[in-house]
This record gives sequence, structure tokens and C-alpha cells, in this order.
Amino acid sequence: MKLLSKDSMTINALAENFDMSRPAVSKHIKIMYTAGFISITDIGRERYCVLKQDGFNELQDFINFFDNFWNSKLKKLETILNNRIK
Amino acid sequence: MQTEIKNEWIYGQGPEQVWEYLTKAELIALWLMPNNFKPILGHEFQFTVKPIPSLDLDGIFYCKVLEIVDYRKLVYSWKGGSGNGVFTLDTVVEWTLEKQGKGGTRLLLKQTGFKEINHSIFTSMTNGWQSNIQKMINHLNASHHDRTNP
Repeated sequence: MKLLSKDSMTINALAENFDMSRPAVSKHIKIMYTAGFISITDIGRERYCVLKQDGFNELQDFINFFDNFWNSKLKKLETILNNRIK
Repeated sequence: MQTEIKNEWIYGQGPEQVWEYLTKAELIALWLMPNNFKPILGHEFQFTVKPIPSLDLDGIFYCKVLEIVDYRKLVYSWKGGSGNGVFTLDTVVEWTLEKQGKGGTRLLLKQTGFKEINHSIFTSMTNGWQSNIQKMINHLNASHHDRTNP
């Protein structure tokens, strides 16, 4: 997956990076494909694997959540500070 | 990809007053969350809130004071997870206070390290691909389930 974060690769090219059989690599790719981490495109006679960003939406969810979270909290602090002075 | 949050807020009160609300547990609780914070370097504390199922967080944030400069700067780690001992959220929260105009405070908030989640996935995959992929799939299925049933 780290390899795919740079560029799309063929299954054969991916397999060369691992000390395991081609069928074993295919099995892993199938798992990642099922999980929605990668998509597979046939170009000519080769099958290319592409990393899908959807699987990492969780990261964006975290960031969005805390962005809103802090915004509302800081506003609340302002209200509390102002009421305290009055 | 965005990996940090920055927020800035101007308060009419001076840094000394704002600082109190950042460093006294009972005052922090008024605007942030219940906690057992102490303004001591290395102090480990927790924020507690209702569970956040959409993010697979159990509602406990594990923190540790990393840096503290009176009235000027406060840094603590901010970690969270689903309660199984694995932190899916591993960030650092940094508060900076500056004087603003006459008697006011400019409060800067930075939460960094959101990228670490990806890194930990990559690292653990190298160490044990098969088992971690299964963990990830379970995790994804769970979070997908939450999204469809908010």
C-alpha cells in the first residue's frame, strides 16, 4: 500500500517487492480490493492497482470533527469569560 | 492531505485570566470537558466525554503535559481509541497565548499529528500484513456500519 501511495503499479511489479509467491500477493491484493483500499484496472494485458483515497476518509472525518469541536469550545470559553466579568 | 488543525480566537481578557481556564481542572471543565488536569510537566490526565461512535472513539482522551510555560504556552498529547488499547487518534494539542491590543489575548490552538494514523497503518502492515489487514477490514466494516446508521 505504501508502494501504491506513490503511483499505480501492475500486480507483477508489486509482487517483485515482496518475498512471497505471486498467488500470495494476489490474495493480499484481493483482500485490499474487497476492503475498498485499492481499485484494479485492466490496461492492455496488465492489471494495474491504484490506491483509493476513500479508505482514508476516516482521517478527514477526524479532522472535520475536531475542527468543529474546537471552534464550538473556544466560543463557549468566550461566553464564559465575558459572563464572568459582568 | 490535511494533517493538522489550526484555530485562533481573540478574547477581551488578559493572558493571565485565559491561562486559568486552560490550566485549572474545574475551570477547563466549564468550557471543554471533565478532566483531571494538573499544570505539571509530565502529568498524565484524561478528558472524558460521551462516546463518539462515528469516529470509533470511546470518549476518553489520554493526555500528557509535554510543555508548560506559564501564561504563554501549553502542550499536551491527545490520544484516543475504541477502548481496546490501540490509539487510532494520536495527536498533540498546542496552546499559545499572546497579548492582543489593550488587555486582550490572542489564543492560538494547533492540533497536529493526524497523519500518524496513516503511518501507523503503514508501519504495522510491514510488520504483519495479514493480521493487520484483517484488523483494518474489521475496523472499516465497523466504521462503515456507523456511517450508515448515524
